[in-house]
Amino acid sequence: MVSKTEETQLSNLENQVDNGGGGAWEFLCLVRKLKVRRSEKVLKHGLSILRDPKNRSSLGPDEWTLYEQVAIAAMDCQCLNVAKDCIKVLHKKFPESKRVGRLEALLLEANGSWEEAEKAYSSLLEDNPLDQAIHKRRVAMARAQGNMSAAIEFLNKYLETFMADHDAWRELAEIYVSLQMYKQAAFCYEELILSQPMVPQYHLAYADVLYTLGGLENLQTAKKYYASTIDLTGGKNTRALFGICLCSSAIGQLSKGRNKDDKESPELQSLAATALEREYKQIAPDKLSLLSTALKSLKVSA
Amino acid sequence: MGGESRFDISQNAYVKLVLHALKHKSSPVNGVLLGRVSPQKDVVEITDSVPLFHSHIGLLPQLEISLILIEEHYATKGVNIVGYFHANERFDDYELGSVAKNIGDHIYRYFPQAAVLLLDNKKLEALPKGKDRSPVMQIYTRDASRIWKLAGSEGSSQLTIKEPSANVVLLDYISTEKWKDIVDFDDHLDDISKDWLNPELFK
Repeated sequence: MVSKTEETQLSNLENQVDNGGGGAWEFLCLVRKLKVRRSEKVLKHGLSILRDPKNRSSLGPDEWTLYEQVAIAAMDCQCLNVAKDCIKVLHKKFPESKRVGRLEALLLEANGSWEEAEKAYSSLLEDNPLDQAIHKRRVAMARAQGNMSAAIEFLNKYLETFMADHDAWRELAEIYVSLQMYKQAAFCYEELILSQPMVPQYHLAYADVLYTLGGLENLQTAKKYYASTIDLTGGKNTRALFGICLCSSAIGQLSKGRNKDDKESPELQSLAATALEREYKQIAPDKLSLLSTALKSLKVSA
Repeated sequence: MGGESRFDISQNAYVKLVLHALKHKSSPVNGVLLGRVSPQKDVVEITDSVPLFHSHIGLLPQLEISLILIEEHYATKGVNIVGYFHANERFDDYELGSVAKNIGDHIYRYFPQAAVLLLDNKKLEALPKGKDRSPVMQIYTRDASRIWKLAGSEGSSQLTIKEPSANVVLLDYISTEKWKDIVDFDDHLDDISKDWLNPELFK
């Protein structure tokens, strides 16, 4: 997950490099650090460094990291020959390396040779059964073949051992959401919030899932988590503000005719509506009247 | 009376949806179709489209808010939501998944002649090689039976593109990486200065 500042930093660097302003190596390092997927750019700029012997040697030991990064980017762009060449270079330099072995198996995956890739990963796992990256490749392969139940099974097993792997919990949650298994997705977000309570994205995702599940109790809890998201983001999260309005409206609908003992205080929703209108007025004024009408239809007044 | 209509999609609506799918190659994407029934009542004219999301497509809050805002905007132009577009995550997945069906069902409730369009990756890939003028999408319609049926090429539920050279235009945009300029609702929610109407896209 990348913050807005990091995203801006990355875009700026990317534009700079694209327009011939240099900084290719910094860009590639940042992509690696943020673990984002910019395969076409990585391939283009990485290759231009690698193909120039002067640039290459000035990298020192980082040269091999670059070969690895470019190999993976090449596979993502289906430039398998480039990937093969990079891997060959790495194999020559590090003949016994498990890391290179992983790349070779990844190449099999990219080719669609699932069985061979599976064999390669299994043998790599024999020597190192706790290799997290390989376990995750198995999940990725299942997902790539559309075998969602296997992906879920592998991920759950993985998480029994590596329960602190937040990326894995998020991946599992996303798979559950795509299969409309919202209760299970909620459980994943609960785990994430427990271990990292200050990360607003988890609060937001949890609220979204609860809202989707529906029912008065879930809606009330969703509202709380939209509120905590707003708290953690200093009121700047548009999705959470909308979430409050949606929840209030839905809760209002469900509570019609029930006893009004636990009637919601209208302050939170009007605060959210005001915040939204203020935001739109400042940043997207042409959409302001549309927003106001929408909020009115949700019976949420500013 | 579903399954009996013809659907005619405008070039802009069509191109927008495909470019959106190309911008987010590694995730599923979706969009809504806007239009009206022709005065003769035999054709549903899809005049515009709005790309919606490229993440967490199965979640309700963002879908609900987007539909409210979109419907409100287009109602003032006498146009309403007439269908839904979906592109699956995987290249070789031709199934209309449950999320797409559910959203389609929701739209059907308001517009019984609604169509669900599914991106056809094979056709998209083959575009540069041939002179195919037909849209790179499969079209599904349903009736009261709750089953979304894939329309056959000779069937009455046909999808045609209004402008015959739309695929040529699409290929041109692809070669200039025009998909980079597409803004969807996800982008808007992350940064409301981004306009999901994409007003400058085809200028």
